[in-house]
Amino acid sequence: MESKRLKKIPEQVVIPLKQHRGTVCKSLVKKGDQVLIGQKIGESVSYNSSDVHSSVCGEVVAIEDAPNPDGNKVLSVIIKTTDSQETVAFVPKQNPSSEELIAIMRDAGIVEHYGAPTHTVIRPEGKKIDLVLINATASEWIGGKYATPREYATQMLDALKLLIKASGAAKGAIILRKDDKESIEAFEGVQVNGKTLKVAPLLGTRRLGHYFKDQGSNIIVASQERIYGKNILSFFTHNVTGRKVPVGCNPTDVGVAVCGVKSAKALYDAVHEGKPYYETVITLEGDVDCPNFMLVRIGTPFRDIIEECNFNGEIGKIVANGVITGVAQYTDEVPVTKGTTRITLLTKEQVLRDESLACIHCARCVDACPVSLLPTRLAVLANQGRFDECRQMHIQFCIECGRCSFACPSKIHILQLIRYAKSAIENAYEDAIPKESSNLKVGCCGGE
Amino acid sequence: MGYTISAPPHIKSGISFRSINTAKILALIPVSLASVYFFGIPALAIILAAVLAAVITEFGIQKIFKQDVTIKDGHAALIGLMFALLTPPEAPIWIPVVGAFLAISIGKHAFGGIGSYIFNPVLVAWVFARSSWGNHMTPLSIPNLGQLSDLLLENGAGLLVDVSPVLILIGGVYLVYKKYVEWRVPLVFAVTVFFFNQTIAFFSAVFSLVQEGVLNPLMYLATIFTFLQVTDELSYVMIGVVFFGILFLATDSPTSPVTKNGRLIYGFACGLLVSIYGYFGNYVDGTLYGIFLANAIAAYLETKTLPSMYGHESLLERSYRRVVKRIPSSLKFEVVTDE
Repeated sequence: MESKRLKKIPEQVVIPLKQHRGTVCKSLVKKGDQVLIGQKIGESVSYNSSDVHSSVCGEVVAIEDAPNPDGNKVLSVIIKTTDSQETVAFVPKQNPSSEELIAIMRDAGIVEHYGAPTHTVIRPEGKKIDLVLINATASEWIGGKYATPREYATQMLDALKLLIKASGAAKGAIILRKDDKESIEAFEGVQVNGKTLKVAPLLGTRRLGHYFKDQGSNIIVASQERIYGKNILSFFTHNVTGRKVPVGCNPTDVGVAVCGVKSAKALYDAVHEGKPYYETVITLEGDVDCPNFMLVRIGTPFRDIIEECNFNGEIGKIVANGVITGVAQYTDEVPVTKGTTRITLLTKEQVLRDESLACIHCARCVDACPVSLLPTRLAVLANQGRFDECRQMHIQFCIECGRCSFACPSKIHILQLIRYAKSAIENAYEDAIPKESSNLKVGCCGGE
Repeated sequence: MGYTISAPPHIKSGISFRSINTAKILALIPVSLASVYFFGIPALAIILAAVLAAVITEFGIQKIFKQDVTIKDGHAALIGLMFALLTPPEAPIWIPVVGAFLAISIGKHAFGGIGSYIFNPVLVAWVFARSSWGNHMTPLSIPNLGQLSDLLLENGAGLLVDVSPVLILIGGVYLVYKKYVEWRVPLVFAVTVFFFNQTIAFFSAVFSLVQEGVLNPLMYLATIFTFLQVTDELSYVMIGVVFFGILFLATDSPTSPVTKNGRLIYGFACGLLVSIYGYFGNYVDGTLYGIFLANAIAAYLETKTLPSMYGHESLLERSYRRVVKRIPSSLKFEVVTDE
């Protein structure tokens, strides 16, 4: 798979001081300071936070609120770049201990693509992790950073070993997608702990537990059907391990840590090269003239990436992180952050302008729902403001995958209505469960 | 330069209410052509009159009540066409006109339009016309499957829809295959109708043995094979109007439940009612009255089959687990799911 590095260095980068769920970092630089590549510019001030590094050389021109791809404005460091490629000295670490690995994760600013800082996933406070999963189902393998498939496979397995060591877990697994033949071939036949790997398909009631016993190994690779939506961690965990995650909890509550390919790779780099997390691979979708995968510096504004790629036609909509659940951007000045996985460009003609009609009870949404809800009823109840009844119908189970809205022939905004009801319930009840993915708040959409 | 912002999802499937209706109309075109071929000009006149009347009625109602005119979505035309197919070819031309008017005005719009009506508008109009003008609406003959060629072109057809069971089947199966129509209701409906006759044959065989005073248990065991013998009653089932009911009337989405289990039970209820009517009466009236009655319990089925919490065991899973627990572990072959 082809990939390339974004050649042009942007004139100005915007590095948000909060690229994770949690507290905003404290800025270590001030206006007028010179920074180098890899220099720490934001320090985490609490446990739920991760450091931020500069991705360019240049001069800090401002520290102010700037647009962020999640739709809100976030305190960001704005750096005017110079041509220099000077980096700070990277210090690799030989044979780090478990504690050191956690420290590396924090210092290198490694964050999961779904928002949680990796050290809070691997070493959650007051919980014990006994299984580490690398979810490689959504991220296409090479991801722009590997020369050969085999290199990808071995690095991922090394990264998994590091993660297992850091978490103190007994077992670990890498989950691939069934239709992703390239990755499966890459992993097939690799030697781990003196054993030859075989990619195990998750079929029927066979879950990871079966294959751990079957293969007699504590590291395995399995493949599963595609699950859409990157925030569906509880669903993913249940599907892969058979462990049920109670509503309002996350996989760490049942002893499972779910990491992404990107964070695993970032950890590998941080340990073996001493490099902090300042570059990421994103996918560009739409009618564009450039490779599928691009290695970009964190903080690069979308505009520079789009200019590099010669979009054919006029842009109607810019969507960050996938067309089903992603957020449409109101400006192209938003930067790439650690949570950005893809940018989709739609032309003016492709922008949907459907009108919602009456529900025809065709039950397509019911068939599409992966958690067996009745989206059609929930949408009607939410529309009428009957939130208590929504709650009785288990609206909190909704994983916001957006498949109901996608399938609806009457083009009803089911997902939006359900989110609205969930937010209202969250505000009304103290014991209500926070949403699993939250980038919409009632009363503040896309602004401050 | 401004960009559009909106809530996700940013792409949607191409299917729309209009495309569903268009597909259904297309699926009914072959049988309409066959009826015109078989009955001649009167059939064509009935179809055209019903479709035109339905569309004009919808246009008029929406203009009078100052609603958005929705005749372009094809639903009115579909209702008109379906009513025309349930009319005998001898009926005077005003029957389809009045029928289509009733279907749209009372059946559809009086109940609140698309998605809100509780009875299938086609059946509302048909039941009304059948009970008001029985002499015009009674078919001259009740078809039955004598030879296999009747499947392709039924010589005893009484209604327009009866002319060709195979063409209806092809159209309906195409809809299910293309997922314009959901498979649960038609499948369970068809299976129920089929097995109803076989079950009756089975029980009558057992009863006749009991009456003869047979004591040999093997004789009773052998009656199970009556399930495999195709009974005579089945030839009355393999007619166009039953297929039409299974594939087009029962699958009308607003009048069937949305829950998955509800749809299965609804299909069974349709099959049972149609079979009872049909077995003791005739399958033409039986299908239409049976589905009409089943519509009445659809909403009840829906509220009674709301899905439980995600991840909760259903009754079936619970009982399965209870049985599995009793089996000694040495006999178990099941896969260990988790440590």
